[in-house]
Amino acid sequence: MVFCLKRIIGIILIASMLAITVVGCSGDSGTATTKEVNFADAGWDSNKLHNAIAGLVAEELWDYEIKETPGSSTVLHEGLLKGEVDVHMEVWTDNLATYSEDLAAGKLQELGTNFDDNNQGVYVPRYVIEGDAERGIVASAPDLKSIQDLKNYPDVFKDEENAGMGRMYGAIPGWQVDEILYKKFMYLGMEENFIYFRPGSDAALSTAITSAYEKGEPIAAYYWEPTWLLGLYDMVLLEDEPFDQETYLEGKTAMPSVDVTVGVSNEFGDAEENKEFIDFLSNYETSSALTSEGLGYMQESGSDYKETAKWFLNEHPELLDAWLTPEDAEAMKTALNQ
Amino acid sequence: MNWLYEFPFEIPMDLKAIDASVRAFSVEYDGFFSVIRGGLVNLVSFFNNVLDMIPWAVFILLVFLAGWRVSRKISKGLLFAVLLLFIGAVGFWSLMNETLAIILASVLISLLIGFPIGIFISTGDRANNIMRPILDTMQTMPVFVYLIPAMLFFGLGKAPAVIATTIYAIVPMIRLTNLGIRQIDGEIVEASKAFGSTKLQSLIKVQIPQALPTIMTGVNQTLMMAISMVVTTSMIGATGLGMEVLIAVNRVEIGRGLVSGTSVVIIAVVLDRLTQGLVKRSEVKTDG
Repeated sequence: MVFCLKRIIGIILIASMLAITVVGCSGDSGTATTKEVNFADAGWDSNKLHNAIAGLVAEELWDYEIKETPGSSTVLHEGLLKGEVDVHMEVWTDNLATYSEDLAAGKLQELGTNFDDNNQGVYVPRYVIEGDAERGIVASAPDLKSIQDLKNYPDVFKDEENAGMGRMYGAIPGWQVDEILYKKFMYLGMEENFIYFRPGSDAALSTAITSAYEKGEPIAAYYWEPTWLLGLYDMVLLEDEPFDQETYLEGKTAMPSVDVTVGVSNEFGDAEENKEFIDFLSNYETSSALTSEGLGYMQESGSDYKETAKWFLNEHPELLDAWLTPEDAEAMKTALNQ
Repeated sequence: MNWLYEFPFEIPMDLKAIDASVRAFSVEYDGFFSVIRGGLVNLVSFFNNVLDMIPWAVFILLVFLAGWRVSRKISKGLLFAVLLLFIGAVGFWSLMNETLAIILASVLISLLIGFPIGIFISTGDRANNIMRPILDTMQTMPVFVYLIPAMLFFGLGKAPAVIATTIYAIVPMIRLTNLGIRQIDGEIVEASKAFGSTKLQSLIKVQIPQALPTIMTGVNQTLMMAISMVVTTSMIGATGLGMEVLIAVNRVEIGRGLVSGTSVVIIAVVLDRLTQGLVKRSEVKTDG
C-alpha cells in the first residue's frame, strides 16, 4: 500500500509541474501582438522623467507597452547599437567615447536634441565662499572663484587619507569627462598639493557631496545639471576659461554644454509601425530649466515619475503643441484631463 | 477576485523620515565616526607602506619559499613566483600592494573579532540561535544597502572599503570556528576534564588544537571572501586593482578588464594555496 501512495504522490507532483510550465509559457505569447518600446534607463532622475513623459504619450496615443532597461550609459549605448534597447531619451554625447564614430557609421539614429543648456564642472557648496549665518558656518574660502584658484586651498578641502594634501572628487571613472577633468587637473598643476579622487560610482559621489553638505564641511567635486542633487543643495560652479572647441578636450577650458540627444536603434527607427512615435521623438525638445522644474516638483511632492510626467504635461500644454500634430495634441490633452 | 493576484493593502511607510534620521545621526556623531575612520585609514596605510617597502624581488622570493615549504614541492613555489611576476610585468605591482593592504586589514579585523565570537557561540545554543540570522543577513543583504550609510558616516575610500569587506568576510570565520569546536569528539573533552583541566585549559589546550583544521579553513574562506569584495569596494572609491577593473568595465575595454581581473585571480589563487597548505599542516595527528 505504501508503494502505491508514493507512486500516486509522484505522479501528482510531475503532473502539476507540467501544468504550471504550460500555463507559465502560454502567459507570454498573449502579448506578442502589442507594440512595445524599450526605453534605456541610465539611472539618473532626469532620464527616468523623460522616459515617463515620452512613455505616457506613447501609451495614451498609440497603445505602446512601456518597458525600461536599466544600465550604465556605456552599456546602454552598446544595447542601442545592437537593437536590444529601442529608445534612449538622454544620450550625453560627450560622455560616450565612440558616439561620433557610431553615428557617422550609421549604427544608430539621432532624432534631435533633448536639451543642450546644461552645466558640468567642479562645484563647491555656497557656504564655503559666502558662509551661512543660519547654520553658523564661516566662509573658509571667500576668494575662491575659479577652478584655477582651487589649488591654493589644500587645507580647506583636506584629504583625510593623505595628510597635507587637498582632495578634489573627479567624475565617474569611464566617462569621457573623467579623462578631460584629469587632464585639466594635471594642466593646472594641481597634483602638487591635491589628490584627484575617483569616486567609483554615481551613488558614492552623491553620497560624498550629501554627507559633506549636511555636516557643513567644504567639498570640491565634479557634478552636472540637471540633477536632483543640484536642485536640492545650493552649490556654486567654479569658473573656468571660456569654452574653446579646440582645446577643451585637453582640459584647458570650460566644458561645453553637452548636446543631450534622443537616440533610437536602427531596428526600431526603421520599423513602419513606429513612424508616428518617431516623428514625435524627433520633435521632442525640452530644456535644462524645464527638466529641473519637473525634478523639483517630484522631490517636493514625493510623486513618482508617472505622476510627475502627468503634472509636467498639464503645466506645459505648449510643449504638446510643439511635439505633436494638432489632432494628437488635442487627444493627449483630453486623455490627461480624465 | 482581483485581490487574490494583487495585494489589497499597503502599509504606509514614511521612508523620508528614515533618511532624515540617518543623516542627522551621521552629523551628530561625526566625531566618533572620524576616530574610527582615522584608525582604519592608518591600519591600511601601515600595511601598504610595509608592502611597498619590500622590494619586488624579495617579495617574489618570499612567496617562492612559502609555496615550497607549505606544499613540499619546489614546482609549486616556482609556479607562484611566476604568477606574481606576471602581475609585476603588466605594471600592476603597486596597485596589487594597495589592494593587498585593504584585504589584509579586513582579514586581520575579521580574525580578531570573528574568532572570539565563534568560540562564544560554540558554548551555548541560545547564542547560536541569535547569531545565525545576524550572520545570514550580513552575507546576503545587498552590499550597497549598508554601504551608503557607511559612506555617510565614514566618507569614501579605504575606511568604508574595510568595513564592507569585514562585514562580508567575518561570517565564514565565525561559522567555521563554531563548527570546528562543536565537532570535536565529546570523549576527548571528557578525557581532558577527567585529567583535571579547567574549562579554559580544556579550551586552549585541547579543543582549539583539535578544531584547528576547521578554523584554518575559516581563515582561508575569510581571505577568499575579502578578495571577492575587491571590485565592489572600488565603487566606493578604494583604489587598487578593483578600480582598474571598474574603469575597464565602464569603458568597455575588455582586454584591460581581463588583465586586471586575471591579476585579482592570481592573488586569490596564491593566497588560497598558501593558507590551505597551512590547513593541512595544522591537522593534529590522531594515529600514534
